Amino acid sequence: MADPGVPTAPAPTGQGFGRVLVAVYGLFALAATARSLVQIATKFDEAPVAYLLSAFAGIVYIVATVSLARGDATSRRLATVAISIELGGVLVVGTTSKLAPDAFPDATVWTGFGSGYGFVPLVLPLVGLWWLRHTRGSEGIVATTQ
Amino acid sequence: MTGPYATAIIVVALVLAMWAAVLVVLDRSPGRSLLIGGAILELLLVGFLIGGIVQMVQSDRTFARAEFVVYLLACAAIPPIGAVWASAEKTRAGTAVIALAFLITPIMVLRVQQVWAGPVG
Repeated sequence: MADPGVPTAPAPTGQGFGRVLVAVYGLFALAATARSLVQIATKFDEAPVAYLLSAFAGIVYIVATVSLARGDATSRRLATVAISIELGGVLVVGTTSKLAPDAFPDATVWTGFGSGYGFVPLVLPLVGLWWLRHTRGSEGIVATTQ
Repeated sequence: MTGPYATAIIVVALVLAMWAAVLVVLDRSPGRSLLIGGAILELLLVGFLIGGIVQMVQSDRTFARAEFVVYLLACAAIPPIGAVWASAEKTRAGTAVIALAFLITPIMVLRVQQVWAGPVG
């Protein structure tokens, strides 16, 4: 462990374990975006809410992927915001889809807490936020408490 | 689309995924042979893409054609993207990215088959 008195710089978010995390985020960015683009282009009228939500999820995943891969100070903040939205999204959409299944005639990546994707969409934001915390170093803490 | 060619892709990809996973566990860098294995898989996937589009054009059936092409393209794109992203880091994490790319490939091939088989919707 580093001496708590000596500020340590934030570690890169796109290296080591972060490289695997970015790969998983990239995969979901691709899956959600490609799926929603096809759905919006071919059958938008069938389930507009679900398809727009898929597109929104895709954008959130793209922002998270790029900002985690870049990892500078601005990107860290952007990643934190995107991943928090992702966590909120999967919880709200997951709960809504359980309580009112009719609201989503077609599945999105967040339906049923991501059950269609092995619940990875539920676990991923938790891992992402943990990783941002794990790599932030102590400079961030010092900067926010002063 | 569901013939022996697609099955061969799934088997090759799973073997490569297991191979890469073993390298992750042993903390060894991917060698030349895994690279050649990946190149063979990629050739199979390019053949799958071309063959899939040819079969789609010749078919009169109704299925989600745009989705089908997108999934075929994704199949062929994932291993090279994984290789590039992994190559920047010669560690266990880089090898894990390669294992992930190989593991996703069979899932994508199954999705291609589902879209090919299923009706629009």
